[in-house]
Amino acid sequence: MSWAEAGRFGILHTNDKMEITSFEEKPKYPKSNLASMGVYVFKWSVLEKALERDEKKSGSSHDFGKDIIPALLEEKKKLNAYPFKGYWKDVGTVRSLWEANMDLLGDHPLLDLFERNWRIYSVAPNLPPQFVAEQADIKESLISEGCAVYGAVTRSVIFQRVAIGRHSAIKRSVVMHDVSIGEHVEIENAIASAGIRIPDGFRAKGEDGEVLLITEEYVKKHKVV
Amino acid sequence: MNNQMLGIIDAAVNQHSLQDLTAGRSIGAVPFAGRYRLIDFALSGMVHAGIRSVAVFSKSPYRSLMDHLGSGKEWDLNRKRDGLFFLPSSIPHDEHVGLGSFRQFAEHLDYFQRSTQPYAAVANSYTVCHIPFQEVLKQHLESGCDLTEVCQEGKPLGLYITKKSLLREMAEGHCAGGAQSFEEVCRKERGSLSVNSYEHSGYTAVIDSPESYLFHSLNLIQPVFREQVFHMSQPVYTKIKNDPPVKYAKNSRVKQSIIANGCVIEGEVENSVLFRGVHVGKGTIIKNSVIMQKTRIGENCRLEHVICDKDVKIGHHIEMSGTMSLPFIIKKGAVQGALMNS
Repeated sequence: MSWAEAGRFGILHTNDKMEITSFEEKPKYPKSNLASMGVYVFKWSVLEKALERDEKKSGSSHDFGKDIIPALLEEKKKLNAYPFKGYWKDVGTVRSLWEANMDLLGDHPLLDLFERNWRIYSVAPNLPPQFVAEQADIKESLISEGCAVYGAVTRSVIFQRVAIGRHSAIKRSVVMHDVSIGEHVEIENAIASAGIRIPDGFRAKGEDGEVLLITEEYVKKHKVV
Repeated sequence: MNNQMLGIIDAAVNQHSLQDLTAGRSIGAVPFAGRYRLIDFALSGMVHAGIRSVAVFSKSPYRSLMDHLGSGKEWDLNRKRDGLFFLPSSIPHDEHVGLGSFRQFAEHLDYFQRSTQPYAAVANSYTVCHIPFQEVLKQHLESGCDLTEVCQEGKPLGLYITKKSLLREMAEGHCAGGAQSFEEVCRKERGSLSVNSYEHSGYTAVIDSPESYLFHSLNLIQPVFREQVFHMSQPVYTKIKNDPPVKYAKNSRVKQSIIANGCVIEGEVENSVLFRGVHVGKGTIIKNSVIMQKTRIGENCRLEHVICDKDVKIGHHIEMSGTMSLPFIIKKGAVQGALMNS
């Protein structure tokens, strides 16, 4: 976990045997960057008692990170940390959701959707394959079924049933399902939310490293009349 | 008008017309248009016409077709009443009497006895179009004829509507003169039967040769034709697989093509159809071709006018080309050139 992000998570402190010695929930000034992924394995008898005690405790928020883990530490129960080395991302913010999508791109992505032994299953709608037109120009991107691409797409992730019109350019962006993008549209460093219609000539860009969230309201407000 | 018809798909005719593409599967199971099998078009059309009972008459080798249809779930045909019936035939391969063979119907008379629908819509498994069976039935009833044949510009499409009771009589050899199939009733010997013709407009692809397979596959890349076959309101149903989106690499160049999910494209693809999970290596150029599921093509290859079946492995620096009238066919599971490591 990068130090910059550590404050968003529950932070663990361990001894050299990876036994947890203390736990802080979302500390302002984290003293460790060992973040809890919110994934736990308990002995049922221990968890059962801890939950029952927590149920009766007034003022408890009934949260694993905030209540159960600290209570078990107080009781001097033996808690171990398992250091996970693979790809992990908490997509709790617009920026981290965008980053996680960008992590799927490139020749050696951090998270490989094409990993044969670890396939990601999802609801698969019945859609025709995507159509790529003569004028289209697609580079370093992921594009899903039911799309029709007539424009340029660079380093972007495009969900199902998205239409991208002629002379439009989508760069470093995530376009959610059922978005209809007109002609001469330019979108950069953005997430377009599902189902919206982006009119001809529309331009939107996340500036200075920011990720712009394009919603129906945003389109209405910024539409060139 | 709903539930007036039962559906019959004769998936046993034209078993070998696509040469190597039908070597190990029936023609209805031939992959088409990037993610479908040929039979999906007739089957979906029937379901959209409100038909709830469909019998698929098949002949060996039918494993692939049976695997694709499964319980009929994808077509909403996994039902307690009516549903999908898979009826294989024991008639030897060499006996060919044309589409809608009465002898094969006679082998499964139970199906006709048990079903309650008064009319039967009969289709083959290799015609790709959007047939409004309800309208055909309406015109059939108005005509007062015994049999209606669907045609386009006078050419028969191998689609018929008739009364189920009459179909049973024909199957039992009680009428239709010496005719042994629907095709023979219309073309050769009809006894005292009257035949009506329904003219179908709209895009129609009869896939009965490698040439017509390639021609229509490439035609359907064009939105103007595709929209006539793939209506948003009446989708073509098929067996759904779970695949990641298509991955385009830095140097990929794709123009005028249909690409199914799960493909990884590092090379160039032009005016072609790629099925699920195809891998196109760096520097490879694919033009005017159809590449079926999970085929892996190495680097710096050149494929033109090629129909490449499923699970083919093509090494590096391989060139293959056919023509529109004589497409180069690569058999299912074939290995061309030195194998790649992956």
